[in-house]
Amino acid sequence: MCAPQVPFVRGGAELMAEELVGALRTRGHEAELVTIPFKWYPGTRVVDQALLWRLADLDEADGRPIDRVIATKFPAYCVRHPNKVVWVLHQFRQAYDYDRTELGQFGESAEDRATIQAVRRLDAVALGEARRVFATSRNVADRLRRFNGIESELLPHPPQALPYRSAPSDGYVLSVNRLDRAKRVDLLLEAARLDTTLRLVIVGDGPDRGRLEQLAGGLDGRVEFAGRVEPERLADLYARSLAVYYAPVDEDFGMVPYEAFLSGKPVLTTLDAGGPLEVVEDGATGVVTAPDAAAVAAGAARLAADPAAASALGAAGKLVAERVTWDACVDALLS
Amino acid sequence: MRVAYYSPLPPSRSGIADYSSLLLPALRDRVEVVVADPGRRAPAADVCLYHIGNDPDAHGWILDALGRRPGVVVLHEYVLHHLIAGTTIGRRDGRAYLAAMERELGVAGRLLGLGVLDNLLPLLWETQPERFPLCGPVLDLAAGLVVHSRFVERRAREAGYGGPVWRIPHPAWPMEHVTPVADVAGDPLIGCFGFLNMNKRVPELLRAFAAFRRHRPGARLLLVGAAAERFDLTRRLERLGLGDGVERLDYVPEERLWSLMAACDVLVNLRYPTMGETSGSVIRGLSLGKAMIVSDVGSFAELPSAAVLKVPVDELEVPMLAAALELAADRKEALGSAARRFIEREHALDRVADLYVAALEDAAGGEAVADAVLRRVAEAVADVGVTDTTWLAARLAEIGLGGPSEPASEHGSERGPEPGTDRIRSGALAP
Repeated sequence: MCAPQVPFVRGGAELMAEELVGALRTRGHEAELVTIPFKWYPGTRVVDQALLWRLADLDEADGRPIDRVIATKFPAYCVRHPNKVVWVLHQFRQAYDYDRTELGQFGESAEDRATIQAVRRLDAVALGEARRVFATSRNVADRLRRFNGIESELLPHPPQALPYRSAPSDGYVLSVNRLDRAKRVDLLLEAARLDTTLRLVIVGDGPDRGRLEQLAGGLDGRVEFAGRVEPERLADLYARSLAVYYAPVDEDFGMVPYEAFLSGKPVLTTLDAGGPLEVVEDGATGVVTAPDAAAVAAGAARLAADPAAASALGAAGKLVAERVTWDACVDALLS
Repeated sequence: MRVAYYSPLPPSRSGIADYSSLLLPALRDRVEVVVADPGRRAPAADVCLYHIGNDPDAHGWILDALGRRPGVVVLHEYVLHHLIAGTTIGRRDGRAYLAAMERELGVAGRLLGLGVLDNLLPLLWETQPERFPLCGPVLDLAAGLVVHSRFVERRAREAGYGGPVWRIPHPAWPMEHVTPVADVAGDPLIGCFGFLNMNKRVPELLRAFAAFRRHRPGARLLLVGAAAERFDLTRRLERLGLGDGVERLDYVPEERLWSLMAACDVLVNLRYPTMGETSGSVIRGLSLGKAMIVSDVGSFAELPSAAVLKVPVDELEVPMLAAALELAADRKEALGSAARRFIEREHALDRVADLYVAALEDAAGGEAVADAVLRRVAEAVADVGVTDTTWLAARLAEIGLGGPSEPASEHGSERGPEPGTDRIRSGALAP
């Protein structure tokens, strides 16, 4: 199981990699997580990183053949193996849809533009040689088709294993995210500024935390930054929430909606959130609003006004989430 | 990125001028483009794009500009003998012609060239250009190549071209509603568009059409385009008894060309020998969703069999072509819709323009990226004391770094040559 790792950063992708290794072992396979630290800047360094994976020799280990390699993210899927299966969680989006947006990293210099082309070429080689390509969401699959002309099979994965349970709502909206700009937690804080009854619990840490805490400064203590929390506490926070906010910009997949659903809670998201929209349907499993603070505030107020209806949405979401299992994922990846 | 764009443009009557007038607006939506004018100072740019075809009058000045500043060459056809002859012998520079012939065929080429210069041999660009393509002088100057087909890509590689090659399909014309003409009809109406000569297999087409017409007396053949000087079409038609079965038109303006094509049930676009060109006329016909018959040679052979009928060029060509006319007339709807799907998928103008931008960005900065990465790799190699870099070189080649690479081609998934490592072997990994 090949996945890159950014030292000191831990998010959904890292959890998913560990869970998959665990799921494979539980089913009697020998599985190992292979990782290389990933640093994608400045400029052309991202190409070096792909080369590092290309040089890794995973044909055999200790004289025994390795039957299959499963890779999930750029640049790990650049690894060579005759039986490589790629389960795409993320491409290097700075070379695709993030380019020329505030989330991009490349400028207009000839070297920067050519680096983008180099990344795209790497994807073409690495994904083109894979025996099968899966995508964790339709959003990821659509991008692969649009940018790379590569068809993939849809294979969502279950969220992290937590002691999921449901409890009566304490009335707060929960956000569980790495705190960076792309996760758009600031939109929720702006909504709380407009609706003075809205209470928030924000789980997670990241480079945007300081700015977000400043934004929350004038909100009369209605926002709690919980930081990173242990699994038991996280399950408890999910269980007692009114709803779970999750609205990154055009997210690839996102495990948070599944975690919310398994806790019987509806999800509050936005029309431009990407992957989450594949499971969050307005009025069926959550609330989907325009990506502006007033609309998000109105969406939260809708849920708060009718807790029974909110519970019903969460219960419907639970049925959706329970259909996604590791058994199905392992069967597909090894078939 | 600023691109200097060298191409003939309308009112020049050439397929490449039409091509550029189609591509330019889409390219301008994506990057800054400055169109170069013959006789004017070369525009400042990050990268130059030179459209090269075989006509020395239309492309001589572009070849000159390429000689002054390397850039990306769009190789519209592989056989460039006429261009080279025009820009060498045509400018009283026989030595340059001899050099081009020698580059292609060694001493034998030089001797043949001398024969041409001394009027001892017929003019090779008129009699057998396909045997002596003379693409070498252009390949030597190209920093990268854009080709439209695998056929031309293969020929360039066989000629020793080691730079990047991007395979970008010919763009399709955006289809607005085209009204078929009402003044030409047939049951069915077969159309053949373009310069009429032996190379377009017009004699074979006429014989096949005569056979076809015996079963389908209502059939008519529409021939649109100027006839070659020594091609006596009238006599051929008389001999085959086709006088009233053939409608003949010379040059027609753009709008009428589309309407005439739209009126046809089946289009025929044959070629042999091929000069490596991709036919704009074929792309037009397929865009219109027409049943199309082509020769099974060169880039034409790469068209999908579901969308076109391909006729081999051999002793069975005429009967096969007659049978293909029958089949195409009977299955024109199925062939036409397959053609339209193919064009929308592969030749959409936006897709083609995106591929051009990718190629140009790669050409403008690719070397800097490769140098930066290779420098760091070389430092690591030296630190570790690696002496056999074969494995490393192979991996680098796979990701398009070092040696002859296979950059973002239209399908994007082809691997570079195994271990194509000239750059590394020549010491690029020495820190």
